Amino acid sequence: MGKTKTKVAKPKSGLSFWQKVKRSRVLLLMCLPAVVFFCVFSYAPMPGIYVAFVKYNYRDGIFGSQFVGLKNFEFLVNSGKLFDLTRNTILYNVAFIILGNALAIFVAILLNEMRCKWFKKVSQTMMFLPYFISQVLVGVLVYNLLNYDYGFVNSILGKLGMEKWGPYSDASVWPVLLVIIHLWQKTGYNSVVYFAAIMGIDAEIIEAARVDGANGWQKIRYIILPGLKPTFIILLLFAVGGIVKGDFGLFYNVVGKNPLLYSTTDIIETYVYRATMTDFNFATASAVGLYQSIIGFCMVMVSNFVVKKIDPDYSLF
Amino acid sequence: MKKKLVAILLTTAMVTTGLTGCGSSDSSSTSSTATDTASTSTSASTETSSTDASAGTDTAAIDTSEHVVITYMTTGGAPTNGATEEMLEQLNAILTEKVNAELSIYYIDWTDYLSVYNLTLAQMDGTVDLVGTASDWLDAWPNVKNGAFLELSEDMLKTYAPQTWASVPAENWDLCKYNGEIYLMPEDNYAQWTNHGYAYRLDWAKEAGLENGVHSWEDLTTYFKYVKEAYPDVIPWDSDGTQYAQMVSGWISSHSNYVSIDGLNAGAMWGGTKDDLYTVYSPYMTDTDSLVEYAKMMKEWDEIGVWKTDVLNNTASDNREDYKIGRVAAEQHHTQTWTDLCSHKPGYTIYEDDEDAETGFFYFGEETQNVVALSITHGAMAVSAASKNPERALMVYDLLRNDPDCYKLINYGIQGKQWDVNDEGLRIQPDTYNKDTDAITTNFWWGRNDDLEIKDATMNWDAIDKLYAEYDKIKINYPYGQFVADVDNIQSMINNISEIHTNYMKQISYGKYKGTAEEIVAEYQAALEAAGINEVTAELQRQFDELYK
Repeated sequence: MGKTKTKVAKPKSGLSFWQKVKRSRVLLLMCLPAVVFFCVFSYAPMPGIYVAFVKYNYRDGIFGSQFVGLKNFEFLVNSGKLFDLTRNTILYNVAFIILGNALAIFVAILLNEMRCKWFKKVSQTMMFLPYFISQVLVGVLVYNLLNYDYGFVNSILGKLGMEKWGPYSDASVWPVLLVIIHLWQKTGYNSVVYFAAIMGIDAEIIEAARVDGANGWQKIRYIILPGLKPTFIILLLFAVGGIVKGDFGLFYNVVGKNPLLYSTTDIIETYVYRATMTDFNFATASAVGLYQSIIGFCMVMVSNFVVKKIDPDYSLF
Repeated sequence: MKKKLVAILLTTAMVTTGLTGCGSSDSSSTSSTATDTASTSTSASTETSSTDASAGTDTAAIDTSEHVVITYMTTGGAPTNGATEEMLEQLNAILTEKVNAELSIYYIDWTDYLSVYNLTLAQMDGTVDLVGTASDWLDAWPNVKNGAFLELSEDMLKTYAPQTWASVPAENWDLCKYNGEIYLMPEDNYAQWTNHGYAYRLDWAKEAGLENGVHSWEDLTTYFKYVKEAYPDVIPWDSDGTQYAQMVSGWISSHSNYVSIDGLNAGAMWGGTKDDLYTVYSPYMTDTDSLVEYAKMMKEWDEIGVWKTDVLNNTASDNREDYKIGRVAAEQHHTQTWTDLCSHKPGYTIYEDDEDAETGFFYFGEETQNVVALSITHGAMAVSAASKNPERALMVYDLLRNDPDCYKLINYGIQGKQWDVNDEGLRIQPDTYNKDTDAITTNFWWGRNDDLEIKDATMNWDAIDKLYAEYDKIKINYPYGQFVADVDNIQSMINNISEIHTNYMKQISYGKYKGTAEEIVAEYQAALEAAGINEVTAELQRQFDELYK
């Protein structure tokens, strides 16, 4: 997305500004909706960040309310949990990004290798479906599967004469459970992107490789995987920007408000939700949002810088 | 270089979309806020000038030529059976005739009601005019401070809500003031008790050997143990994991003279004692031995199997309905709920299935006779600051609260359809009444009036009156009605304290903690101390001293 825009701005030497505009008017027109979108929804409301620095009063409005400096950030720092929360959030996201992309690539390659058409379509649809299930329902499903007294898993364990399993009072199993749930939900969707990228790889290259005697594994290793690298890196850079933003829907609905599990499942979003929804404080919530955005911004800048050092072609800018 | 800058800006945009997403809604609400403020302030000023001019004249002089719709906001799920609309039609005919206005009801569903309630008020777009509120369970004072409610000047009240103004005594108006301005109209003439406790099966308690019923926490343990053994199909109490704070504060009432200050946080963690009301302390810090004992007892309850094993994730329970049909053996809620559960109403099959069935009530504080009467702002009506017709809203409220016809319509429904009067002058449901098609939902809990109430014949008044008489003997009035804490400097500490309280109390109250009771209580208190509970106590003491000394 960003790439097309920077291409449009490419200067043609010797021409005046208006001549350049005229020359690339079609391209400019094409990117106009995106530019307008970001102006309206991202830049225009940005002064609203100021709400993070005031004691917000409904009647006085954001700019009329009393300025309180960094006071709204205090509670997050005072809670003594900032580090734990940030760590949980980042670790979960790292797991989601790495495992999610790896699995998505794997699935995309498998789909690509399938010869039976109807089986390919059916399995793709099946994998895609969980993406459309609301997180609230996912939470209910998981509870009905795993709860101690009458959950599906425990009923089976009980029938087999085995000891019951109580995940809702054992914090240590949740990192694994949550990652599995996330993968179950998102893999089908993510694999489509990679599947499309595989489709985009020039068939002639694969043809040539086959003529040269490459087997299936070599085809994947030397043609498809390298072909997916740019897509992977771009998706990675996008994902890194949101690395301190947790998946509130998943965590809140699946874990709920069970303090026994907080040590491994509490992320910034869920903590802030619990702590600020009771007194309904916009300002504090915005302060946290700003904190996350600043870290996200830094992460994107750093990772882009690193990617650029390694291979400038793959960087976003 | 320029290219780079553009790219950086784009990235900023990308990563801040989330944040500014909420920023944008904020700023849009601000702009509407600004205009709303302007309009209300102008209308307020014109209003005061007109009031000055018409001071002394009667309400007939008020200009009501324009027909307006007054929206009243209440908590509760919106009804779908059409009966409420039918009632409103009749009510609106009266309201139109008397004040040329009609009423519509805006419902805040129970799911996350407090958040939705506050969010609706924060919109400030004139959606609602009359707002049902409460200082102890609906954030009345925080919303006053946030500017959501309109100041109600004495002139305004005298002119537009004269009956209400006259019926509420001056000292009660004082309890509705913040910075010298009245914001709330209290429901101060309605007898109800909302002190919490456990409703339980008195007949089963007798079987368990508790001849006089349950009168202490220890009795409850005996009771639950018996129920679990004698009635294996019954879950003693199918809690949904949210009563942790009520339980522990109930324990503290039952084991001390603690009187809590309402409205600071959900745990009501600060207060004084009956003997020394104005020395602030937090029993959660000082009553360590008592808390340890509590933690032990709750562990015992957990082991007995009073609740489901995964009680903390149990969102699907419907304990109160289950109680009525005998699937559970106790309900933790307040006296008002018990008055309903102990009455032989249609659909309460426990009384049909077992003619010995009786519902008793163990109230928190029974052991120490520590009961505080309800604050008069447990239910109150406010006018939204964004209301376009605050004067008319007041006039409508005055009628709903004081006019017998309007009062009966909004509270009971249509006579002959939803209710009727029997020979003894008690309120009954007509034979044709069908709960599914005829029930109305108005949840008018912000101006009920004992002068106009008709006693409900289906209620078990013998038992209720007996308990009320007992309460009246031992109660003290809520002593901190005039205290509206200024929490700006301690809010972040209170937030963190609430969070700690919630996290630890869920574990302690449901016996789910690891290690010994002593250890978990010590850990809890250390966490509270680190979060600044002593600073909060000191600050509250300072504000107490200013007000009361």
